[in-house]
Amino acid sequence: MASSEQRMRVHPYYGILALLALVGLVAIGVRLIEGMRVTALSSPVAWGMWVAFYIYFSGLSTGSFLLSTLIYVFGMHQYEKVGRMALLSALFALVAAMILVWIDLGHPWRFWKVFTRWNYTSVLAWEMLVYLLYTVILVIGLWALMRCDLAHLALTVSGWRGKLYRFLTFGFRCPESEAAYRRCHAQSMRVVRILGIIGIPILIMGGTGSIFAVVAAKPYWYTGLLPIIFLVSGLASSAALMTFLYAFFGRKDEDHLAITRGMANLMVLFLCIEVVLLASEYLVGLYGRIPEHIRVYHAILFGPFPYVFWVGQLLMGTLIPIALATLPRTRNNIFWLGLGGLSAMIGIVAVRLNLVVPAYVVPALEGLEHAINQPRWAYAYFPSFWEWASSLGTIALVVLLFSLAFQFLPMFHEFPQRFQAASESR
Amino acid sequence: MSTTALDRRTLLQRLAQFAALLFVGGGSAVRAKEPSQLDESSLPQLPPPQPDEDVLIRMMRDLQRALKKPVHERRWVMVIDLRKCVGCHACTIACIAENKLPPGVVYRPVIEEEIGEYPHVTRRFLPRPCLQCDHPPCVPVCPVHATWKRPDGIVVIDYEACIGCRYCITACPYEARSFDCGEHYSDGTPRRAEYDQSPSPEYGRQWERKGTRSPIGNARKCHFCLHRIEKGMLPQCVTSCIGRATFFGDANDPDSLVSELIAKPNVMRLKEELGTEPRVYYLV
Repeated sequence: MASSEQRMRVHPYYGILALLALVGLVAIGVRLIEGMRVTALSSPVAWGMWVAFYIYFSGLSTGSFLLSTLIYVFGMHQYEKVGRMALLSALFALVAAMILVWIDLGHPWRFWKVFTRWNYTSVLAWEMLVYLLYTVILVIGLWALMRCDLAHLALTVSGWRGKLYRFLTFGFRCPESEAAYRRCHAQSMRVVRILGIIGIPILIMGGTGSIFAVVAAKPYWYTGLLPIIFLVSGLASSAALMTFLYAFFGRKDEDHLAITRGMANLMVLFLCIEVVLLASEYLVGLYGRIPEHIRVYHAILFGPFPYVFWVGQLLMGTLIPIALATLPRTRNNIFWLGLGGLSAMIGIVAVRLNLVVPAYVVPALEGLEHAINQPRWAYAYFPSFWEWASSLGTIALVVLLFSLAFQFLPMFHEFPQRFQAASESR
Repeated sequence: MSTTALDRRTLLQRLAQFAALLFVGGGSAVRAKEPSQLDESSLPQLPPPQPDEDVLIRMMRDLQRALKKPVHERRWVMVIDLRKCVGCHACTIACIAENKLPPGVVYRPVIEEEIGEYPHVTRRFLPRPCLQCDHPPCVPVCPVHATWKRPDGIVVIDYEACIGCRYCITACPYEARSFDCGEHYSDGTPRRAEYDQSPSPEYGRQWERKGTRSPIGNARKCHFCLHRIEKGMLPQCVTSCIGRATFFGDANDPDSLVSELIAKPNVMRLKEELGTEPRVYYLV
C-alpha cells in the first residue's frame, strides 16, 4: 500500500478536479433550467457533442468490461492486476455516459418513460434496458471481485475508512485462514466469471453502434460495419485507458513494464483493426459516388473542422499511440507507453465526434439548406459554451469520483502478499 | 424452506403482474388518444354544388364526406402540383402562423431549385410538408411510443410522452421533423411579442410555450393540420395557396378531387426507393 504522505500530496489534483466538476454541475443546472436553447444544436443537426461523448463513454465502458472478461473469462491471468481497474473504469465511464445522454434529452425529467412506455421496435429503448442490466452486472461483479479484500480491510482498518469498508462489505465476511480464504476467493471468481459470460452478449448488443447503423436516412451510418466499428473503437479506447492507468498508477513491481506493454499491445491490435474497418468504410463510401454519402466524407476530410480527422483521429488517435507502442526507443519505456495511451484516448474522442456530427451536415433534400434561413435550421455545428462546460465538467466529476474510488478501494489483489508475509515471518 | 420458495413465487407473480400492468397501461394510454365523435352541426356550411366551383369548396365538400366515415376508412393524402407552384412561400408562413411555430421549427419549407445556367435558367419549387409515410421510419425508432401512425394515416406526436431524444428527427429521410429548443422570434427585443405568446392549437389543445414545458423540448412535425381537419377545415397550407397548387382529401373516396389527381400518370413521390410509401404526391 502506498504511504499516507504520498496520498496527501495529490490534493491539488483533487482541488482542480473538484473545481472543474463544480463548473460542470453549474452548466448542467443552467441547461436544465434554460432548456435546450443553451446548445448550438439545430433541427437538422439533432445530435452533437453530448451524444458524441455519450457514445465515447459507453464505448469505453463496454470495452473495459469486455477487456475484463478477457482476463476473468478467457483466462488471460497475466493481466489480472488490470482487472479491477477495468471494471471500475467501466462503471464510472457508464456514469459519465448516462449523465451526458440524460442532459441531451429535451425532457430530462421524463427519462423514466423509457421503461414505462417501452417500445420494443426502438433500438434506443433496448439500449436503455441493456444499460439497466449492465449496471447490475457491473456493480455485482465489481463487488464480488473485491469482497474478500474489503472484508479484510473492514477488520483491519479503523476510522472513517474502516466504516466505509464495513459498509461496502454488506455484511460479507471472508475467512482469515489461508485455505478457507482460497476457497472463498475461488467462489468470488466463479461469480465474476458467470457475470462476465452473461455480460458479453448483452454488451455486444449494447455496443450503441446499432442506434446509428439502423438509420437508413443517413447513408454514412447505414452499414453493417458500424456496430463492429463501435465495439472495436470502444475496446481500443479502454485498452488505451488501461495502458495509461497502469503506466502511471499501476503497481510498481517486476511486472509493471510487462503489463503496461501487454495493454499497449492490445491497444495497438484494436487500433489496427479499427483502421482497417474505417478505411474500408471510407474507401467504399468514396468509391460509391452517392452524393449524400460522399459529401459526408468531404465534410470530414476537408470540411470546416478538418483537424478533428487529421490531428485528432489520425495523428493522436492512431499514429502516435501505435508509434509509441512499437518503436524500439519507446516501447520499453513505461512513461512513453502511458503517454501513447493518453493520446489514443483523446484521439478516439475525435473518432466519436466524426461518427456523429458529419452525418447531419448534408441536407436530406438538395436545397433544403437554403429553404429555411434560420440559425436553428443550420447544417453546421460547433458546440456552445454550455455544451463544452457541461461535457468537460461531467468528465472532471467522473474522473474525480473514479480517482477517489481508485485510491480507497482495494484495486489490487492483496491477499497473496499478506499470506506470503505471514508465512515468512513465521 | 418450502414457505420461502412459495413466497418467492408469489413475489415473482406480483412483479410480473406489475410489469404487465405497466406495459398495458402504456399501451392503453396511447390508444386512448384516438379522435372523438364528429359533431356534424359544427361543420362549416357550404353552398350548393356548382359545375365550376373553386377547388377549395370542392375539397371541403370531399372533406366533410370523409369525416362522416369511421376514422379508419379515411385515407388522407396531399397532392402538390409543381407546375402551379410559383414559390411564394405563403404556405410556409401560413403554417407557421397557424401552428405558432418558433424559430427552427418549420413544417412546410419550400425548396427552390435552379435548373440550367444563366441566361438559360428556369426555377422549380418543391414544397415539403410531412409526407405522412405509410411505412414511417420515424415511428419505430421512438423509445417511448410517443409517435405513431393514426388509422387515417397521419403520423402524430404525443407531446406529453415525448422525451425529446430526437431519434425520430434523425431517422426521417426527408428531414420533416424539427426540434423545438425553446426560442422565440422576439428573443433579444425589449418585449416578447404577442404572436410569440399565443398558444398553439395543435392536436386540439392549447399549447402554451413557457419555460421548458411541452411543446418546448419536443420533436414537432406537420400533421396536415389535424385540428382543422377534424373541424371540417382544410389544412392551412391548402387554404393559403395562391395558385391552388396544393390539394388535400380522402384517397379512399373515388369521387374526391385528390383521387382523380393521383390516378394520373404524371405523379411522383419523394425518395420512392426507400419504400416509405409517402402520402404526399407531386404532379409534374
